Amino acid sequence: MKGIVFGLGALLLAATAGTASAQTMSYAQAGALIAKSCGPSIERFCSKVNIGTGQVMQCLMQHQDQVPRACFDDFAAAQASIAKRVAAQSGSFKICAPSAQEFCSGVRPGDAQMLDCLLASTKVVRPACKQVLLDAGWAN
Amino acid sequence: MTRFIRFVGGLALAASLAAPLATSASAQTDLSNQQIIQGLSGVTNDDPSLTVELLRKMAQDAVAANKPLPLDKSEIAKRLDKLAQITVQIQFALNSSIIRPESYETLGSIADALHHPILWNYKFVVVGNTDTTGTRAYNLKLSQERADAIVQALVVVYQVSPERLQALGLGQEALQVPSKPEDPINRRVQIFNIGTMGPMPKAVTNPQ
Repeated sequence: MKGIVFGLGALLLAATAGTASAQTMSYAQAGALIAKSCGPSIERFCSKVNIGTGQVMQCLMQHQDQVPRACFDDFAAAQASIAKRVAAQSGSFKICAPSAQEFCSGVRPGDAQMLDCLLASTKVVRPACKQVLLDAGWAN
Repeated sequence: MTRFIRFVGGLALAASLAAPLATSASAQTDLSNQQIIQGLSGVTNDDPSLTVELLRKMAQDAVAANKPLPLDKSEIAKRLDKLAQITVQIQFALNSSIIRPESYETLGSIADALHHPILWNYKFVVVGNTDTTGTRAYNLKLSQERADAIVQALVVVYQVSPERLQALGLGQEALQVPSKPEDPINRRVQIFNIGTMGPMPKAVTNPQ
């Protein structure tokens, strides 16, 4: 019994700390999350507000007592994840520059050729570069 | 080039196969990020003479002159056919440019593709199309508003750079299936790759 508990703990540890994983969701997942948690409320209370105006959250707030709490939580989580992914994507060039210089010398950037090189060198690229590519959604 | 044509053909086939079974609400073409990237990266087909302004004028002229709809594909559709493209279904509220929540995920998939390094240095036109239900002028206006709404969502929610996107409504002037002008299959959003934003960056070299 003890062994099993220990085994479970080790497994959990490995899952959370061992292998690196993306700390962001894809833009599609973010959109799906907003739709799932807020879709019914948006259609009911904010059917005249387009998502691209950036005013949907404000509209939902005006109906706060009728909108499920999960909608506000998930909307905020989706937005935070989008912001984080955008930051990872635009920051990746700089963060991966040392690795690119070391392992991908002569590779012409553009059409994802640099990314391909960095992913092919994933065993050696620096951890910060690896993590930023994960958060950017470009590595598995 | 061949791969690209086959891909688009496959999509059109999938869409036409799915349409009779699905209700219009669930006819969302489910594209993976990889499929979108593939469809949009056939850059060899770039046509520099084809601009959004030119296409808009062609559509406006056709509506103003009330030109009869061609039995075959229109001149606009023929020229667009040559570009790297994808076709998606976005659900809007009736007679409005409000994007329904069920399509937020599809917009996100498009954003995933546009943010990928393969497409990072390219710009795109988002084209809205209608079927022939309703008046021609109204369809032109509505499709422009819908294309605008998609671009706005991609920019504001999914943070795609506005410099990479243009919106164009073509109304019923570029029917997918001219032999069935009222078929809802003609209601669609297309995204076209219209070339690079700037020259590709230079290679990094090892300074030693």
